[in-house]
Amino acid sequence: MKLFRQLILRPFRGDLTRSLLTLISIALGVAVVIAIELAGDAATGSFESSLTTLLGKVDYEVTANGGVDETYIAALAALPLNARFAPAIEQPVVIVGGGSTTVYGIDVIAAGMNETGEFSTDKLETSAVLSSDLAARLEAKKGDSITLRGPHRTQTFAVQSIAEGQDTGWVGIDIAAAQDLLDMHGKLDRIEVFLGTGEDPGRAGEAIKKIVPRTYDVETPGARSEQNRRMLRAFRWNLRILSYISLLVGAFLIYNTIAVSVVRRRTEIGILRAIGTSSRGVLLMFLGEASMLGVLGSVLGIGLGRLLAAAILGMISDTVNALFTTSAPGAVELSAGTVVIAICTGTGVAFFSALIPAREAARVAPAEAMRRESREHETRLRVGRDLTLAVAAALAAVVLCQFGPIGGRPVLGYVATLCAVVATALVSPAFVTGVIGALRGTLKKVAGAAGLIAGRSLVTSLARTSIVVTALATAISMMVAVGIMVGSFRETVQVWLESQLRADIYLRAAGPASAGIYPPMDAAVPGIIRATPGVGDVDVFHAFQFHYKGTQATFGAGIMDIVRRRRSMRFLSGDSNEILASLPGQDRAIVSEPFANKHHVRAGQILRIPLGAREVALTVAGIYYDYANDKGFVLTDRGTLLRYLPDQPVTNIAVYLRPGAGAREAEQVRRDLETRLAEFPLNIAPNEVLRRGAIQVFDRTFAVTYALEGVAIIVATLGAANALLALVLDRRREIGLIRYLGAAKGQVRNMILTEAALLGLLAGLLGLALGTALSLVLIYVVNKQSFGWTIQFHPPALLLGGALLLVWAFTVLAGVYPARFAAKLEPAEVVHTE
Amino acid sequence: MFPQQNPQEKPIRVAVRRAVKTYEGGVEALRGVTLDFAAGTVTALVGRSGCGKTTLLNLCGAMDFPTSGEVLVAGRRTSELGDRELTALRREEIGFVFQFFQLLPSLTALENVELPLLLSGARKSEAIARERLRWVELEGKAEALPFQLSGGQMQRVAIARALVHDPKILVADEPTGNLDTASGDAVLKLIRRAADEFGAAVVMATHSAEAAAIADIRVRMRDGQIESVER
Ligand SMILES: Nc1ncnc2c1ncn2[C@@H]1O[C@H](COP(=O)(O)OP(=O)(O)OP(=O)(O)O)[C@@H](O)[C@H]1O
Ligand SMILES: [Mg+2]
Repeated sequence: MKLFRQLILRPFRGDLTRSLLTLISIALGVAVVIAIELAGDAATGSFESSLTTLLGKVDYEVTANGGVDETYIAALAALPLNARFAPAIEQPVVIVGGGSTTVYGIDVIAAGMNETGEFSTDKLETSAVLSSDLAARLEAKKGDSITLRGPHRTQTFAVQSIAEGQDTGWVGIDIAAAQDLLDMHGKLDRIEVFLGTGEDPGRAGEAIKKIVPRTYDVETPGARSEQNRRMLRAFRWNLRILSYISLLVGAFLIYNTIAVSVVRRRTEIGILRAIGTSSRGVLLMFLGEASMLGVLGSVLGIGLGRLLAAAILGMISDTVNALFTTSAPGAVELSAGTVVIAICTGTGVAFFSALIPAREAARVAPAEAMRRESREHETRLRVGRDLTLAVAAALAAVVLCQFGPIGGRPVLGYVATLCAVVATALVSPAFVTGVIGALRGTLKKVAGAAGLIAGRSLVTSLARTSIVVTALATAISMMVAVGIMVGSFRETVQVWLESQLRADIYLRAAGPASAGIYPPMDAAVPGIIRATPGVGDVDVFHAFQFHYKGTQATFGAGIMDIVRRRRSMRFLSGDSNEILASLPGQDRAIVSEPFANKHHVRAGQILRIPLGAREVALTVAGIYYDYANDKGFVLTDRGTLLRYLPDQPVTNIAVYLRPGAGAREAEQVRRDLETRLAEFPLNIAPNEVLRRGAIQVFDRTFAVTYALEGVAIIVATLGAANALLALVLDRRREIGLIRYLGAAKGQVRNMILTEAALLGLLAGLLGLALGTALSLVLIYVVNKQSFGWTIQFHPPALLLGGALLLVWAFTVLAGVYPARFAAKLEPAEVVHTE
Repeated sequence: MFPQQNPQEKPIRVAVRRAVKTYEGGVEALRGVTLDFAAGTVTALVGRSGCGKTTLLNLCGAMDFPTSGEVLVAGRRTSELGDRELTALRREEIGFVFQFFQLLPSLTALENVELPLLLSGARKSEAIARERLRWVELEGKAEALPFQLSGGQMQRVAIARALVHDPKILVADEPTGNLDTASGDAVLKLIRRAADEFGAAVVMATHSAEAAAIADIRVRMRDGQIESVER
């Protein structure tokens, strides 16, 4: 123990700066992993409807595509079950002068709320309860009034009470008032089932299923959350994998730190061995050092991750809302389990990265104690063998990319990514030697003695150099890969938007613009638009979220004749014109690419989709490219939908002007429409606004990704600083010597900065190569398999070039401290010591 | 303490006057040393380990400065020079040879010799370095890396490097300390020739009698002071 203190702790203190850098690297790696986990949990953990606040814990929910018929309540109530059945409406609604919120329609009397004073029976139709969150936003208090606006009716309610402790905004009103307001007579969003004590849930579920139509879903609320969670799984997995990259970069650095301390203390180890320490003891000593760094780093990382999670939660929930489903972010909660996992991960990574150098330490012979001159880091590298292995790893990566997903996840794609990183690590030594060999003459010419020594010493300490280059290259490759993937995706989406958004003006009912929410608009709106001068075609669209084989998707119906004439939809195969012309009047549908991929749907196949109380068989006429969301769409002609669900409200309208109309006319028509439709709560947006909005959503979605890459780059840069410092410490005497030979301090500084620049250059080149390869995996394997999108390859060259230069500048910056440290070394002291 | 004698009237290259050196820990490594080193003369510093030889060499090489007293190198008081001037002084006037760790392990023999010239930005550096390497009879090893050379060869490369810029002063700290007799003799011959052919003032710390034998002046030190001077 005393030996441990003397030989491990003392040098640990001596190399404080380096140990700190390593610690920060681990801490950052762990922090990112933790942050992504916590923020992901918080973003997905809040699907439970706030309705439970009003009604209590629900046992079953009865739902149906296109809404539930109210009459089933009575049928269900007649069942010989100890259960209560409550109608519920959950819809977006506009608050006059206060944005929008969710309205819950509930049976106040049945819930007994008129007795607790939350509602007063005599003013049932005009009483409301507000969530504390909404009340705070509106600065409303008990007794105030709130005016809600439905598709064509406005109603004022008195705030009877405020539900405390709510972190989402909603307003609860009586079910009848809600139906009135929202024009949903006879319709419900769902029936909530509460079982009495002693009632068997299985039996009750079966009994309920017998009463309602076969197309209705009877599920536990947990199942709905589970569905949402499943939907988010691919998204979370991709973030998770990305977050582990930082940890991987951290692992390379631990390896480096321990390897350096083994080299540095070779003589000490020799002495220890000579006085009787077993090689096992030496092994344990170094593993102990690594584990200590791991534990400390993890603890720091947990704290940091908790803070980071709060910061990125907003970004993640934005994405979740925009792309997947409506959910309010929950609180970030650090559970004991997460803490344990984080510490185990951080320590485990540290431990395993230290294994190789620690074993090298254990092999030091006692005779080393006598060696006067400690050898340079032995480059036990077998470049030839490594290259062969690298080729094998690369081939494995290529082969793995040929297979499909496992359990809906691109598992083999992830493994291929890892193989590519391994291949890079193996290629790295040969790459470093090759590039520096090629640069030999240039370096001497450009940077003189500093350049000459810088290049040479990187090759001399090849084992170390290649580790640092690999770590940096991995981080850079992630940046490049994601950069190319996102850039390509963005370009693809932009091209798609171009062909998709061909109408001049778009209208939707006012309300929250989240995925899966399609607020209805008044039935009179299309007629008013058609009568407006200057308007050509009016595509009327009905969209709603529906269940299909346990997942959610959007069902949409538009006027396919207008779509065919006005838009240019692109199909995977087949003629767009023919496909679209085949839809009207038929039970035929087109589906989006993600939907087809998810459910293995092919053209010509028959889809059985429950609509209301019926199950409709739709023939798939074609599969079209779509990037709106990954849940997918099923589209039919409007006539087809209305045959099965005649009351389905209009949700979106696309207005095409008369051919030949210019921007001025468009603006005129838009203003005209605004006046004519003033009484309806609508969003009226010209084409550009919608297009810009779509790209903004896209950019926000990838903000987290960029943040993650940023951290990986920071970790890698710290690693570069760390490694350069180690190089300086190892070469203290060499640096002293060249001072004797007439080097000025500035030249020593330049030498280290040149080394930093070379490291950055090597890592940049290698990272670019690896990154390009990885981007192909991301685009054609990972993304395709997790989300089902076809992305065209469009590397954003300018942006990438800029980012690479920036990282390079960072690396040189990382050399500043080591360079100053080297310049300050006292030559007379360092040359004569040892 | 000892009267200045300079019978051949050779120019004085380094003058040490009443130099005292106290290290930070309080160790008095030099306690009032006065000594001159003339061009073309080999001076050997002998004495027990720890008597202050290396310390004195560092003062002569302008790598360290006296706590009191003064050291004049090429006529300039070292403690008054700034970093830039010291670097220039080392580049132009001084060559160093050490006992251990002579060469940069990552550079070839030729590059090691060329290094001082590269550092000072001299022209035709490679040709000059090659010529010096020939002078120590190692032109055949120009492309060899240090680990491919024997100890004696390394030391000869080091001497070539120390003389590549025609320094007026050659500082050698136990140049044969690590060598067998034969290699040591070859190195000593070169050091002797450095004084005779280049006219350098050679200051050499040594423990070996052979090394002391080639010197013109033998200075015996003890506890940071000069015990005797023998010509
Ligand atoms: N940087 C330093 N800091 C503190 N004390 C030092 C330092 N360098 C040398 N000393 C001390 O100064 C004294 C003289 O050391 P010096 O290296 O000059 O001796 P030396 O004659 O060269 O010995 P050797 O023959 O062993 O090389 C010694 O006691 C030594 O411990
Ligand atoms: Mg000495």
